[in-house]
Amino acid sequence: MVDRLAGPRDSEVWYEAAMRQRATDEVLRHERRVTRTVGFWQVAVLLLLLIAWWGASGRLLDKLFLSDPISVAGAFWRILVDGSLWYHLRYTLIETLLGYGLGATTGLVGAVVTWLVPGGEPVLRPLVLLAYATPKIALAPLMILWFGIGVLPKVVLAATFVFFIVFLNTAAGLAAVNPGLVNVVRVMGGSPIGVFRKVMLPSALPFIVAGLRITVPAALIGAIVAEFISSNRGVGYLINAASARYRTADVFAGIVGLLIVVLLMNAGVSVLERSWLRWAPRTRNPLG
Amino acid sequence: MTALRRVDLQVRRGEFLTLIGPSGCGKSTILNMFAGLTAPTDGTVLHDGVPIRGVNTRGGYVTQDDNLLPWRTTLGNVQIALELKGVRRDERHERAMAYLSTVGLRGFEHHYPHELSGGMRKRVSIVRTLVDTSVNVILMDEPFGPLDAQTRLVLQDELLRLWEGSGRTIVFVTHDLVEAIALSDRIAIFTGAPGTIKGVREVPIPRPRDVFHIHDAPGFTEIYDAIWAGLRTELTTESVQGG
Repeated sequence: MVDRLAGPRDSEVWYEAAMRQRATDEVLRHERRVTRTVGFWQVAVLLLLLIAWWGASGRLLDKLFLSDPISVAGAFWRILVDGSLWYHLRYTLIETLLGYGLGATTGLVGAVVTWLVPGGEPVLRPLVLLAYATPKIALAPLMILWFGIGVLPKVVLAATFVFFIVFLNTAAGLAAVNPGLVNVVRVMGGSPIGVFRKVMLPSALPFIVAGLRITVPAALIGAIVAEFISSNRGVGYLINAASARYRTADVFAGIVGLLIVVLLMNAGVSVLERSWLRWAPRTRNPLG
Repeated sequence: MTALRRVDLQVRRGEFLTLIGPSGCGKSTILNMFAGLTAPTDGTVLHDGVPIRGVNTRGGYVTQDDNLLPWRTTLGNVQIALELKGVRRDERHERAMAYLSTVGLRGFEHHYPHELSGGMRKRVSIVRTLVDTSVNVILMDEPFGPLDAQTRLVLQDELLRLWEGSGRTIVFVTHDLVEAIALSDRIAIFTGAPGTIKGVREVPIPRPRDVFHIHDAPGFTEIYDAIWAGLRTELTTESVQGG
């Protein structure tokens, strides 16, 4: 039946494709122009804010509380060179990554298992929402009580900051699947597991990736808060100690260190996103 | 709500049967029952004499939306049924590529659905159903509905070339009378909610057909007028009720 057929209207299809390609190229060119303009203004606004900070410091506001960009840069350079930044950052990084990994894995697996168990989703989802709404920072002192003052309480607190969002996002992604796709694959002979692997999971992937992205800073917050409460190392400790001695520049230098960590982790998620969501139409992403 | 009432329909092996009627008369419900996605509240649906229980995996379903998996390339989408039925990788690839060539999609096998036009996506959607040879009945629910008039004609023509001589049965739903005549061996006319079959008509136009000049085919006007007379009363009552 296939061989029998005469040549298809190749040229027609190719013409259509060429026109689409041309339209796409035009859109891409336009987008590049927009990106350049936006980038210029982003840098300009940032510079303006830094200059305003520098101008206000010592004139409008006490330098003791506000420091200024140049002192912060100096402090950052100092803790970078003497190795103290890396010493503290190392712990914070390990706590954040472990907490992130733990929270993301349990959140993802938890949501999938909940979905697979009949009736599990309607029972558990409101409970998870309730737990999500609880201010988890209030748990921090308890975490110290339960898990001591080492790395563990920081990891656990960071994980709780990640778990709920990844869980709820995954659950929402599984619920949002297009029933048409599920039915088509069922008619093609897909078993429940086949449907799950070939339809549900890939369909939920954009939600899951969004969850993984927004929890990057959340994990860091969890680790830092736990460090604030009780620790003798980590960037949270560094900031706390500097602030107790009114070394405002050092506090900001620590914050700059944290910012760099968030940006690096974000870049990591972006790499993941690009390989997992290659199929998705390009969308604008404010965090790059 | 009752979508259908007392529907008795025999589909002949290897025929192209079209269900036509006003919207909301339960044409799609019939296809869903045949696919096993909806169970009839009363009565039975048989496929090759065997009652359908659960999802009918020996029927292929081309839905109104193309329902391509957006995370799979053209090739991946065409292969999915074969994958689910455990066909070997190289054979899957070979069969999928052969079908893609017949509809002019060779060269687009690595494109994702969002990179294809509506007509191309529809081709993929049809081909992924036909590529599975264990399927002997193909259900099509207004597959060409959202396409522009030219693309529609081209795809109707392609569908006929793919189907003729294949020995497979097609049950096709449309509300376009010209499309129904151009494609079908028989046309079943449905009446409004709850739907019943008002009559079944043979289309005596010989094959292979030229869908581009179907108006000039001998017998076209007669069959068009006869079916339209039946449909028009339906459409008028519908609009009176609606207004």
